[in-house]
Amino acid sequence: MNRIEERLQQVQKKGEKAFIVYTTAGLPDMAGCARLVQTLDSSGIDVVELGIPFSDPVADGPVIQAASYKSIQQGTNLRKVFDMVADIRRDGCQVPIVFMMYFNTITYYGMERFVDKCIETGVDGLIVPDLPYEEQKQFQDVLDAKENAPILIQLVTPVSGDRIPMLLEHARGFVYCVSSMGVTGQAADFHRNVLSYLEQVKKVSKIPVMMGFGIRTAKDVAPMKHTIDGCIVGSHFINLMEENGYSTDTAREYVETFKKEMNG
Amino acid sequence: MSNRYYGEFGGQYVAETLMNTLAELEKAFEEAVADPHFWEQYNYYLKEYVGRETPLYYAERLSEKYGTKIYLKREDLNHTGAHKINNVIGQILLAKRMGKTKVIAETGAGQHGVATATGAALFNMKCKVYMGSEDIERQHLNVMRMEMLGAEVVSVESGSNTLKDATNEAIRTWAKEAEDTFYVIGSAVGPHPYPRMVKEFQKCISVEAKKQFLEKEGRLPDVVMACVGGGSNSIGMFADFIDDKDVELIGVEAAGMGIETGKHASAMALGRPGTLHGMRSYLLQDEDGNIQLAHSISAGLDYPGVGPEHAYLRDSGRAKYVSITDDEAMEALAELCKLEGIIPAIESAHALAYAFKRAKTMTKDQAIVLCLSGRGDKDVHTIESYFSGKGYLN
Repeated sequence: MNRIEERLQQVQKKGEKAFIVYTTAGLPDMAGCARLVQTLDSSGIDVVELGIPFSDPVADGPVIQAASYKSIQQGTNLRKVFDMVADIRRDGCQVPIVFMMYFNTITYYGMERFVDKCIETGVDGLIVPDLPYEEQKQFQDVLDAKENAPILIQLVTPVSGDRIPMLLEHARGFVYCVSSMGVTGQAADFHRNVLSYLEQVKKVSKIPVMMGFGIRTAKDVAPMKHTIDGCIVGSHFINLMEENGYSTDTAREYVETFKKEMNG
Repeated sequence: MSNRYYGEFGGQYVAETLMNTLAELEKAFEEAVADPHFWEQYNYYLKEYVGRETPLYYAERLSEKYGTKIYLKREDLNHTGAHKINNVIGQILLAKRMGKTKVIAETGAGQHGVATATGAALFNMKCKVYMGSEDIERQHLNVMRMEMLGAEVVSVESGSNTLKDATNEAIRTWAKEAEDTFYVIGSAVGPHPYPRMVKEFQKCISVEAKKQFLEKEGRLPDVVMACVGGGSNSIGMFADFIDDKDVELIGVEAAGMGIETGKHASAMALGRPGTLHGMRSYLLQDEDGNIQLAHSISAGLDYPGVGPEHAYLRDSGRAKYVSITDDEAMEALAELCKLEGIIPAIESAHALAYAFKRAKTMTKDQAIVLCLSGRGDKDVHTIESYFSGKGYLN
């Protein structure tokens, strides 16, 4: 069974909400990033979302753009990130790992080769924000042809409307519910109809519904706590890490506090 | 494959947030195209405001020197100085029809920004233009023009601070504000239906040129050529000739300091297929699959990709794509000034330079039709510093 599905089932069984954190791969450096993932794991994170830096991150706001740029300048590339994942798996870390990346990085590497490498190193899921449902078929066919291939996570947005049933029909892992319009990292400024939208998604979805974009603390999601199955923090976590020199203590404290407050 | 594609190129590689927006746009576009009233309006403004039709000028002295007939389609004589306005009029009329009140645009050299600001003023829409901070510095006069026309110019400081980053930022803003905002894309790039729309609204170039050439020569031209950055003037110049298989179509990309130096903008010469700005097409990429910076003395050709229909025309063999260096383009520019009294945009000078090469293989009865996409007023600073040997501002 896929690590994401397994973990989220366990969380649900306990009657808890899941917590996912995004961090840009290669920051503060490769070794530091590996330590950070391991710390997140031991702090109780449910899924780690690793951002593969790309030169033109159109779905990202200024914080993640800057982080991606910095990481590329330091020489981060897909090959090195795969090596890092392989290393932490070798050390016994079993946390579910999702790559957040742009489609060009996948096609440049080669779709088949990419999927094989994900299986070999232990990448469990993929979020590809510039690969909407209508363009997924070719890549999904490659994924479907292989055993233990990562799950292509589906995103839904406040304006997806009548597309939602189609997007969720074959969705696996979790649904990434984008809570606001535009790009990542705009402070808790959720779409005005966010609650009814989340309820609409929850009603259709057979899998956990995770809310993301613009979340900083557990308080931000308190009003929708009963509708969602958990949430995702990205830009705020990067800010926190940048301000605190990627301190693993800060990361641990943040995750533990968030989980406690969300499930309190 | 649906009509979202040209062979394997094109598509809609955008965030889910924009998929309904694109569907709405596609529907509105299809309806407009089928509505004679829409075309009446479009043609009215092209004639009365833009100043169409533009002449197809027989360049007598050039023809004599190079030994074949050279005709120039004078898009430089349009209002605002280039072909960009044709497309802007079409897209803004569409935006109005859809009830949008704001337009946004990306710009590199500033020509599309100026055209959009002009259209926005004409049709009373709010206008924001995204421009890389590098470009704002080197195209200061166009920034001033846009501001005079009432547009807000937003400086983009991310990545390389140039056109590709300005485009990223415009896409981000669009994803946030699509409810009341129309994104006017200036080149034949972007997600479907943009490449199709830009072609439709630039097609007037070849429709006129074909008619004019028939009147003058009683036949079709042998060669039709245009410069290619993203590919808007060239797709407009090719459009009505694509089905005339005997007409050779040639797109001229920028070879910058030379393809071999790596400092160029020839996505077709050395690019690989990839995805950027909502489309799959040929792109300049580095060994990690990141998008590479393009280089050209001409800001309008300084783009690491190319429109998806051009990628398809190339792979299917219908059109041929070649490259011209900065030096070759500047030499051709100087020649057109002296022989014909026309100062062309540096973009268009790339097509000219190749026409001179190609002419050598042609007879005096054959003919080239070339799209002179814009005038060179905007380039005088670059031209001056190039010729005074100071290097140029790029």
